[in-house]
Amino acid sequence: MSRVEFWQGNTACAEGALAAGCRFFGGYPITPSTEIAEHMARSLPKAGGVFVQMEDEIGGIASVIGASWAGKRAMTATSGPGFSLMMENIGFALMTETPCVIVNIQRGGPSTGQPTMAGQGDMLQCRYGSHGDISPIALVPASVEEMYSLTVHAFNLADIYRVPVFIMADEIIGHMRERIEVPDKVQLSERKPVIDPTHPFRAGCDLIPGFPTFGKGYAVHVTGLTHDDRGYPCTTNPEMHEKLVTRLFNKVESVRDEISLFETINTDSKVVFISYGAPARAVEQMLHDHPEAQIGHLRLKTVWPFGERCLSQFPNAEVFLFPELNLGQISREIERHTRIPVISIPKIGGNLHLPQELWEITERYL
Amino acid sequence: MSGDDWLRKDRLPHIWCAGCGNGTVVNCTLAAVDEIGWQRANTVFVSGIGCSSRAPGYVLTDSLHTTHGRAIAFATGVKLADPSLNVVVITGDGDLAAIGGNHFIHACRRNIDLTVICMNNQIYGMTGGQGSPTTPMGKLSTTTPFGSVEPAFDLTELAKAAGANYVARWTGFHVKELTKAIFSGLSTKGLAFIEVLVQCPTNYGRRNKYRSVTDQIDYMKTHSVLKQKADRLREEGNELPEDTIILGEIVKRSLPAMGVRK
Amino acid sequence: MRLVIDEVRCKGCNLCTLVCPYRIFKPGTIANRKGILVPVTDRPERCTNCRLQKIYGRTLCGMCQMICPDQAINWVNEEVYEPHRVVVED
Repeated sequence: MSRVEFWQGNTACAEGALAAGCRFFGGYPITPSTEIAEHMARSLPKAGGVFVQMEDEIGGIASVIGASWAGKRAMTATSGPGFSLMMENIGFALMTETPCVIVNIQRGGPSTGQPTMAGQGDMLQCRYGSHGDISPIALVPASVEEMYSLTVHAFNLADIYRVPVFIMADEIIGHMRERIEVPDKVQLSERKPVIDPTHPFRAGCDLIPGFPTFGKGYAVHVTGLTHDDRGYPCTTNPEMHEKLVTRLFNKVESVRDEISLFETINTDSKVVFISYGAPARAVEQMLHDHPEAQIGHLRLKTVWPFGERCLSQFPNAEVFLFPELNLGQISREIERHTRIPVISIPKIGGNLHLPQELWEITERYL
Repeated sequence: MSGDDWLRKDRLPHIWCAGCGNGTVVNCTLAAVDEIGWQRANTVFVSGIGCSSRAPGYVLTDSLHTTHGRAIAFATGVKLADPSLNVVVITGDGDLAAIGGNHFIHACRRNIDLTVICMNNQIYGMTGGQGSPTTPMGKLSTTTPFGSVEPAFDLTELAKAAGANYVARWTGFHVKELTKAIFSGLSTKGLAFIEVLVQCPTNYGRRNKYRSVTDQIDYMKTHSVLKQKADRLREEGNELPEDTIILGEIVKRSLPAMGVRK
Repeated sequence: MRLVIDEVRCKGCNLCTLVCPYRIFKPGTIANRKGILVPVTDRPERCTNCRLQKIYGRTLCGMCQMICPDQAINWVNEEVYEPHRVVVED
């Protein structure tokens, strides 16, 4: 059973979080993500949760990490400038393996840029923004329905892999209103229990240690310093640092094909579009307008970690066309994984690619 | 006393220098926590970055050693998400007053049920003795080689003005009074802020003519005045010397608090 | 109860010598294996507060333990003093 609603993307994201059992929201208002905070402020107290508007985004992500250690599913929502402020604590969450969900409704950057216009300029920042070698998970919704379902999925991934998970939506998806079928029940996963309380950070062959929630008597020491299996700082031992950071990195990278979600259309075509987020909708419209031309489409729902398996779905591909609302950030990542030419179709300024524009470029390669 | 039971004995001796006052503050904190009867399982110590912030690593409870200046923001999340936990924040002057100043005043404004203990050594000890917001005027550090030209921060006045429910200041010498003050802080509903002036022989004392550990302790002993006495002296029209350290309970009140256990 | 200094934890700051009302602690003169001059206790049985702790069931003074930044000062239980029995030879 399900019910039908007509929601904005941001509302769907907040409702998805509530359905996923999110009971803590700490954040700071920023256009165009504010509707998520507003919706959580209204709904969380009714659901027995806590909403707190912190003094800045740094405090927002810090309170989310704290709440996560206290056993709550926790999230924050922001946009470009706030996302930049959060970077240090995102690194802390990765180092301490704290599950949390960070929603970034991207706007035009750099700096204050275009607060009310769409952009996808934070796609590399979420992967490489925090210092050190990190590997987070980033999901990109392209519809209001996905704002809901991917938010639920993000909480599950965060708890399974003990990493911060990003929802890298954009202003168009965040503010677009669409019909959405809301399921009555969503599937939820749980945090792994601690196996050896004396070594709470010791991981098995899946590289993921159990989660020692605060207040359960584990007396766990959580530190952003390089730490050993007990959680104690161990900063001058090169082997220890290598072992820890490699594990944190491989924990996500080794399962990238399992995490990776994507959709394909016309897998045997020669010209293939790759897209994620709002530009995917322009591509879909173009495919709809020109059904006679065999054009493939790979829509990424997971951008980080990038599972290269998705590219082998198109064995006949001769060219990849990649429209993005930035100057070609992810198309460079695709180039690392394929010998087929990748043509970036960048667009910044806040407007989406027009299907007509995309068709004109496509015609050159047909 | 069983304050010793709260220590991670396998991690001792700790990293602090000989004569550093931080260890004394840990003793007093643990004595107060033990006296109030909190259990290890539902007590959380949170800290930021710096010498002082290594303290939770030596306490056998759940402990969160976070990023520079953000300890109070992390603690806010822990406390609001689970009000049944007792949360103590241990922080330093650079951590709390410089990079974390915003979080500090907003935690005081929210009056969230935390106990914040600031080990104020008036210097950045861990990075090698740079001037901090609480370095007194004229004192030397590696970044104030000709004496600090900036006025120092009075953290207790700041906390008082921002709305904390309990504010006190003691030094690393007044251990009994400090333990009592921390006890009062722990039992206060709302934000309790206890500033502790501690000696830093390695980086502050060495550059400021306190040749031995005991010299700086002597200075704190002889230059401190109880708040009541200071108030009385001021009423009588006496001028207090500028370097007077005013000790004691600065404020105790019961403004509405947040995150109090139901 | 008898005062002892844990040589492993002590870093030789001599704060204990400053606070003891009985002046039990004296600055050390001989460096130990780590090169630290650990203070020495001078007739610690003179400390009434230490001796009476057990009877009162609580720490009486404890300034030395509280101020010790290295958690190096503690008390150990002492056996009750037994006067030697004098054996008279036949």
